[in-house]
Amino acid sequence: MERFSGHTRISARARLLAIAVTAAGMAAALPTSAADEVNQERLLNVEKEPGNWLHHHQNYSAHRFSTLKEINRDNVKNLKVAWTLHLGGIEGGGIWSHGGLEGTPIAENGFLYVTDGWGSVYKIDAHGGRGVLVWKMDPKTDRDWAGAVACCGVDNRGVALWGDLVISHTLDGRLIATNKETGQVAWQRTVADPDKGETITGAPLIVKNMAITGVAGAEYGIRGWIAATDLTTQKEVWRTYTIPGKGEPGIETWKDSNNAAAAGGGSTWVTGTYDPATDTIIWGIGNPGPDWDSAYRPGDNLYTDSSLALDATTGKIKWHFQHTPNDPYDYDSVAENVLVDIPGPGGPQKLALEADRNGFAYAIDRTNGKFVWGLPFVKKVTWTKGLDPESGKPIEYDPNKAVQTYIASVTPSRTNMETDICPGNMGGKNWPPTAYNPDLKLWYIPVIESCNRIKVEVMTPDKLKPREFWTGGGPSQPFRITGSVTAIDVTTGKIAQKMETPFPNLGGMLATPDLVFTGQPSGEVMALDAKSLQKLWEFNTGGGVNAPPMTFTVDGKQYVAILVGLGGAWDKWFIDSTPELKKIQPGSMLYVFAL
Amino acid sequence: MFFSRFPAAPSMLLVSVVALNFSIGTTAFGQSAQAPASDPTNAGKAVFSKANCVGCHKWHGNGGGGYGGDALSLRKTELTRDQIIEIVGCGRPGTGMPFFMRGAYDEVKCHGMNRQDAGAQMPPEGGTFLRPKDIEAVADYVIAHIKGAGEPTYAECAAFFSSTSRVCDVYKTPAQKPDDATASTGKGQ
Ligand code: HEC
Repeated sequence: MERFSGHTRISARARLLAIAVTAAGMAAALPTSAADEVNQERLLNVEKEPGNWLHHHQNYSAHRFSTLKEINRDNVKNLKVAWTLHLGGIEGGGIWSHGGLEGTPIAENGFLYVTDGWGSVYKIDAHGGRGVLVWKMDPKTDRDWAGAVACCGVDNRGVALWGDLVISHTLDGRLIATNKETGQVAWQRTVADPDKGETITGAPLIVKNMAITGVAGAEYGIRGWIAATDLTTQKEVWRTYTIPGKGEPGIETWKDSNNAAAAGGGSTWVTGTYDPATDTIIWGIGNPGPDWDSAYRPGDNLYTDSSLALDATTGKIKWHFQHTPNDPYDYDSVAENVLVDIPGPGGPQKLALEADRNGFAYAIDRTNGKFVWGLPFVKKVTWTKGLDPESGKPIEYDPNKAVQTYIASVTPSRTNMETDICPGNMGGKNWPPTAYNPDLKLWYIPVIESCNRIKVEVMTPDKLKPREFWTGGGPSQPFRITGSVTAIDVTTGKIAQKMETPFPNLGGMLATPDLVFTGQPSGEVMALDAKSLQKLWEFNTGGGVNAPPMTFTVDGKQYVAILVGLGGAWDKWFIDSTPELKKIQPGSMLYVFAL
Repeated sequence: MFFSRFPAAPSMLLVSVVALNFSIGTTAFGQSAQAPASDPTNAGKAVFSKANCVGCHKWHGNGGGGYGGDALSLRKTELTRDQIIEIVGCGRPGTGMPFFMRGAYDEVKCHGMNRQDAGAQMPPEGGTFLRPKDIEAVADYVIAHIKGAGEPTYAECAAFFSSTSRVCDVYKTPAQKPDDATASTGKGQ
């Protein structure tokens, strides 16, 4: 009874719409109220609607900071499960025995939009203190085709909103626009090609009527790119390759005679950021391939392991900053660049912050790509003595060397075929997003405190086969891996706090005025004091947390939501470093908390 | 070439000499070799998927490096049926090849070892346990369809999946492909 009455408003409206549709006979032209239409104005000014969470990374700057403070340091101990919703998508496919959940829910006017690993989109009505599924759009992803070339899991990190559409990706390479009211697919377009080893796991970034798509596949010999699709014409506006082609600037950093650049990697599978002041998209670029046989691809291998700035209108490259030239470790730089303005002596410093797989956190000047500061955010770094304070390059980097050896005794190479590296190849931080509190100027990094062992395989061109691994070796896990939340004071570029955790942080962060939220793959969701990182609240979901928390309001009440379902790379490739996590069962569930 | 890995697992030397000293040896399976009317290895093919051999060795059995370390090529394997039965049952100590026999290293010693003896060399446990008949079936399938095969072909792939997935398109010869698919070799650009 109560359930039914809660439905009335929606179902009455849905019935009206259904009638309107039948009458008009055209499903594509469903009326949507203007307040529900997402446009550039709203995406630029998300702080005007703090109860919603409109961007994958909360705002264009990837702060993942909410000003909501009904839940705060004083009362967070009373946080309880408000409701849960079981989702699907744990089926296996290709080399994967099951899917997982890595997405960030999007919230708009009391409705949540979430995805499962195979790219099904769920619209959930969160009014009335419980969650009701409004519709599910199942894109019928070609599981065997895509799952066979997904290096790191059956993953999908979420949707974006535009106009009356929900924009999403699928692992098998599609960009899909779904009608927000009806759940019907309005149109779809193939952007990536699993026959080339390309897959898509990231959420789209919407900029000025374009959906920006990144690609995964550097372990399968792809040549990475970032692509923009016009959401009205459904046509490609630009596609910028992250590895230069013949005759393009940067190709001189591929000095081999193997044509390594053509399969050079440089994937882009984490959603980037956008600086409207300069109309610049900043996107993280992945590792070169083959991952560990760096002698196959002598040279710095631009633009792998870089932060790349693109003109949003044309896709033209404006600047780059490379973290690990000629990377022999799989230390990619796909992580989000967090855009932060800090008061400085000569006016505000416009920074882009990135926590790199190589264990260093970087601040670069986002107007020109110049290094500002950098520091290790993990407890243990063995591959370099540190960063050059001027250039930000690893101290051992030698521009005259074709193959970089860094600290040669630990660096994987053709003369050091089995070696231990710290951080391990999953990095000090992987895709799980950071959060930034602009009041405290603290930046929270979800950390993997790790070492692992790398075995090198010498690659030859004949080993490059479509849809087969192109890694030049592989990792193993002889060491226990733990984690931490590490807070960096962005005004000083120093570590302000570190809260160690028994397991690596595979979920990511949410910041509110006086709290940070995060989770553990062993099941706990927790709230920490924003300054001391002291744990103030914890709840065990009984699953593995592999996704970031977010917060929103509905009916004037604040909620914290998080997807729970361990999947991804850890579960299959790195589990030996965290043996207790073998007990965690596949799952697929949305948890929503409230006071 | 893959023999260079064996020093990492000294117990393997023992295995190749002693061949089969665990309880589900050949004799236990002796009766099942005669072939029914349909492809006698269909059951083994199902096990190959169900037990997630495909997760590491891929559908074609070629394995490959990558994040999981190297699952050896079953196309290039030189192991006999009995040796395959043993390695599936017991895994390979000191490597990522899991054991699939219930009770291996506990009630049933493998390579003369229990869990304590195996220590750090203890192989991982398979995601599912297989009955002796299943282990035998998967070995028959490997011998009949994978061992000794050359590069994977479209016909093999289509036979494995018999589905509507595009997973096999990449193996089509140029003549079998629609004209838009020329760039799908991964080396194309
Ligand atoms: C978790 C990954 C994984 C799974 C699942 C797996 N294997 Fe293996 N397998 C390996 C690895 C790694 C090796 C190589 C061991 C070594 O280095 O000697 C291997 C080796 C083998 C070998 C020995 C090949 C040779 O020539 O020495 C056979 C046979 C084999 N696997 C069959 C199977 C079958 C059948 C299944 C399914 C029942 C299976 N494997 C499941 C990882 C796996």
